[in-house]
Amino acid sequence: MNDKHQDLVETMFPSDGSGIKPYEWMISPTRQRQWIDDKGIFLWLAFFFSEIGAGLYFMSLFYSFRPGIVLGWLITLVLGGVIHMLYLGNPKRAWRMIMKPNTSELSRGIWIIGVFALLGFLQIITPGGFNMVFNFIMGILCLLIISHGFATMNVIRALPAWNSTIVLPLSIISGIWVGHQLLQFMFALSGNALVVSGMEVWAATFFLIYFLCILLYAWGTWHTSGAAKASILKMLEGDLKRITYIGVGVLAILVPLVFTLIMWGGDTNGFLIFLRLASVCAGDLAIRYLIMKSAVYNPLI
Amino acid sequence: MPRWGMVIDVKRCIACWGCTIACKEEHFLPPGVFFNRVLIGESGKFPTSSKLIYPILCNHCSDAACVEACPTGATYVREDGIVAIDDEKCVGCRACMVSCPYQQRTYYDEKVKDREYFPGQGKTEMEIIGEKLYPFKLGTVIKCNFCTERLEDGMKKGLTPGKDEDATPACVNICPVNARVFGDLDDPNSEINRLIMEKKGKQLRKEFGTEPAVYYID
Repeated sequence: MNDKHQDLVETMFPSDGSGIKPYEWMISPTRQRQWIDDKGIFLWLAFFFSEIGAGLYFMSLFYSFRPGIVLGWLITLVLGGVIHMLYLGNPKRAWRMIMKPNTSELSRGIWIIGVFALLGFLQIITPGGFNMVFNFIMGILCLLIISHGFATMNVIRALPAWNSTIVLPLSIISGIWVGHQLLQFMFALSGNALVVSGMEVWAATFFLIYFLCILLYAWGTWHTSGAAKASILKMLEGDLKRITYIGVGVLAILVPLVFTLIMWGGDTNGFLIFLRLASVCAGDLAIRYLIMKSAVYNPLI
Repeated sequence: MPRWGMVIDVKRCIACWGCTIACKEEHFLPPGVFFNRVLIGESGKFPTSSKLIYPILCNHCSDAACVEACPTGATYVREDGIVAIDDEKCVGCRACMVSCPYQQRTYYDEKVKDREYFPGQGKTEMEIIGEKLYPFKLGTVIKCNFCTERLEDGMKKGLTPGKDEDATPACVNICPVNARVFGDLDDPNSEINRLIMEKKGKQLRKEFGTEPAVYYID
């Protein structure tokens, strides 16, 4: 058997038993592949970068911190945007995605990102850019971008694990939480100890809400339907369990919890803030990966 | 204007995969790509278990999830009810694939294009001709189109889809047990409507509200 033959066999009959077969297809909960496997991995990264960029921008608005909004704007548009393009089969036709905002969540997202790019640029270059009207509009746009990735997934009725009501709150709080951590780290780098210490109250609050949203997502999805339950089981028992226990259990929850307790009361430390940021980012990536990877379709028969 | 649909009698189907193969021939589909599948499953437990045989294809839903999800308008419902893809507009985001509850779409990329029926031995003459006669565009999504070309060519010749072979989808023509009936869902006197009424035709996964044009009877 040569390499090409081996590749073909692996494509049609992968070792996980979910291959492209004309008969045993969709007769048991079947995993979605397009938005996580192969080039789909770009979509996972694109959603992550768009979210953390918008989260940083959002949090920076409360502190009128220009370097924060510049970096947030760049992460969202350059990293998020470019990686989105890498995912597409025909990126040259990407402009066509503005055509159907009436029904397509993806199309709505493109419009929101376009408006965010334009108004964000104006806010960055305008000397009095941090006024209430600008901040309010940009705040709304940031929240829409933070939730865009999960909103695109949330409207897919065929995948019960994505079609859960808690998906959107989870995505919004994760964006705000990661954005907050990035901003706190930027302030720590700039030596602004007073602000860093003051931000710690919000760090504890956001972490608690984030933790509750993760629990609610798991609990709610478990009780939604058989296919949704199968998704949670895949996270807990299947191939993904290491990512669940290390990525979510340790990096997203345990490590930030320990560091938050150590810095409780505003006794902050730049190195610990950096470690917590790294852990939070890795944990958020893990959660997104798990939600995208474990979603299964209901069997057809 | 007719609205094309299909009735599949699951009691008649013998799982010969004739439809799967006829479809692959008709559209020159590369290895691993199926517009028609025959699903085989079980229901119940011994000693009351029964075997389920369900031929599956694109359901050409009138309220299709794929059409809603498509951000460019590349996937659309034609006036005759066929869900079609304009490969000039498809951006390859695969939102349609993810949103389809029936999972009847395939992403056509280099990996799929380069597959050979005899791996490592180059493409056969048939595969080379197929790529010329029935070209798919790279980076786009492909799926069953109810053999639109046959339908349109046949109708131009004055033939009737569902009755005349040259105007009827290949999977219907090949079926040795006449398990598939193709016809106009908007014609109250059509054979397909009679079967749906008399045998209480069911749509697959009706709960998604996509209004499939493929009905199953038993």
